[in-house]
Amino acid sequence: MNEAALLQNYLVVGGLLFGIGLFGFIVRRNMIVMFLCAEMMLQGVSVTAIAFGRYHDDWGGQMLVIFIIAVAAAEAGIALALILMLFHKSGTLDMAFWQDLREEGQPAFIDRGVPEERAEDRVWPTLTPAGVEPEVDQEEQRHRSNV
Amino acid sequence: MNVTALLLAQTALTLDSPMTWGIGLGAAGLALRLAPQAAWQKLGIIAGLIGIALIGVALPPLGDVLPQVLFWLMATLAVFASGAAVTSRSAVYAAIWFAVSLLGVAGLFLLQGAQFLGVATVVVYAGAIVVTFLFVLMLAQPEGHSPYDRISWAGFAIPIATIGVALLIGTLVSSLPEFGSVGTPNEILHKTHVARLGGELYAKHLVSVEVVGTILLVALVGAIAIVIQGNPRRRTTSEEGASDR
Repeated sequence: MNEAALLQNYLVVGGLLFGIGLFGFIVRRNMIVMFLCAEMMLQGVSVTAIAFGRYHDDWGGQMLVIFIIAVAAAEAGIALALILMLFHKSGTLDMAFWQDLREEGQPAFIDRGVPEERAEDRVWPTLTPAGVEPEVDQEEQRHRSNV
Repeated sequence: MNVTALLLAQTALTLDSPMTWGIGLGAAGLALRLAPQAAWQKLGIIAGLIGIALIGVALPPLGDVLPQVLFWLMATLAVFASGAAVTSRSAVYAAIWFAVSLLGVAGLFLLQGAQFLGVATVVVYAGAIVVTFLFVLMLAQPEGHSPYDRISWAGFAIPIATIGVALLIGTLVSSLPEFGSVGTPNEILHKTHVARLGGELYAKHLVSVEVVGTILLVALVGAIAIVIQGNPRRRTTSEEGASDR
C-alpha cells in the first residue's frame, strides 16, 4: 500500500470530521448536541494522530488516542451531569437561556423569526402495539393477593 | 464574500480542482440541511453526497483495490454520518448518527492496523458514551418540539460558520506537504500488535496511565457531587420530621 497516499487521505478525513464538528458547535443551540459536536472534533484529531503514528511507525499516535478516549469518557460524565443540572434549573436545553451570564453592557440576544409549527412537525414517533394481551387468570389472582 | 475567491489564494485549491468544488458543495449542503424548508434539506443531502464524492475523487489512490474500497466505504460513512449528526433536528437522531459515524471511524482505525483502538472506540464511544447521551436525553427531554432547534442562532450564524469552516478545511487540505514514501510500518503492523501496544503503554507511559486513572476517578466523584448539589437530599427533610416528632 502507498503509505504516503494513505496518510494524506486520512489527514483529509480527519480535517473534515473536525470541521463538521466545529460547524455544529457554532451553529447548534441544544446543549447536548453541542457537546456531541465537541466529541466529533476529538474524533477528527484521533484519526489524524493514528495516521501520523502509522506513517512514522511510532506508537505515540495510538498512545495519544488512548488518552483521548479516556479523557473524553471523563468529560462526558461531568458534562452530562452539568447539563442535567442546568436542565433541572431552567427546564430547557437551549444554550441561549444562559445568556444572562454575558458580560455587562452587551446587548441581549433576541430570537427572531421563529417559524410556525406545521402539521408535519407535530407527528411524534409511535410504537406499533404487537401481540395479544394475555388473559388474566382469576385463579392466579386469588393466590397472588394471599402471598 | 465568495468562498471560492478566498480559496483561490491557496496554492493547491484551484477552480479546476475537484477538491475545491467538493468542499464548497459540502459546506453548502451542511448549510442547506439547517434550512426550515423540507425540499432544501433534501437538496442539502444531495449536495453533501456530491461534495463527499468530489473530495474522494481528488484524493491520491492507495494502490491496492481492497484497502481502497474499504477506505472509501468507511470514510464516506464517517463523514456523511457526522454531517447528519450535527444537522439532525432531533437530538436523539443526532446521537444515533454520531454512533454510526463512530463505527465508520472505528473501521478507519482497523484499516490503519490499529486493532485495539478500533475495538476500544466501538466499546467506549458507541457503547458507553452514546448510551449516556441517550440516557441524559431521556432524563432531560423538554415537552414538544423546541423552537430553538428549528431556527438555530440568528440567520447570520449559519453562513458565517459555513464559510469559516470551509476556509479552515480548505487551508488544511491545501497546505498538506508532499510526504515522501516510507517503508512498511513493521512495528505497528507486527503480528503481536496488541501485546506491543500494551508493552509501550505500561513501559513508557506508565505515569500517564496513573494520571488518567486519577482523572477518571475525580470525574466520577465530581459528576456525583454536581448532581447531589443540585438536588437537596430528601433524607434531610425526613430527619427533620423525625426530630420534630
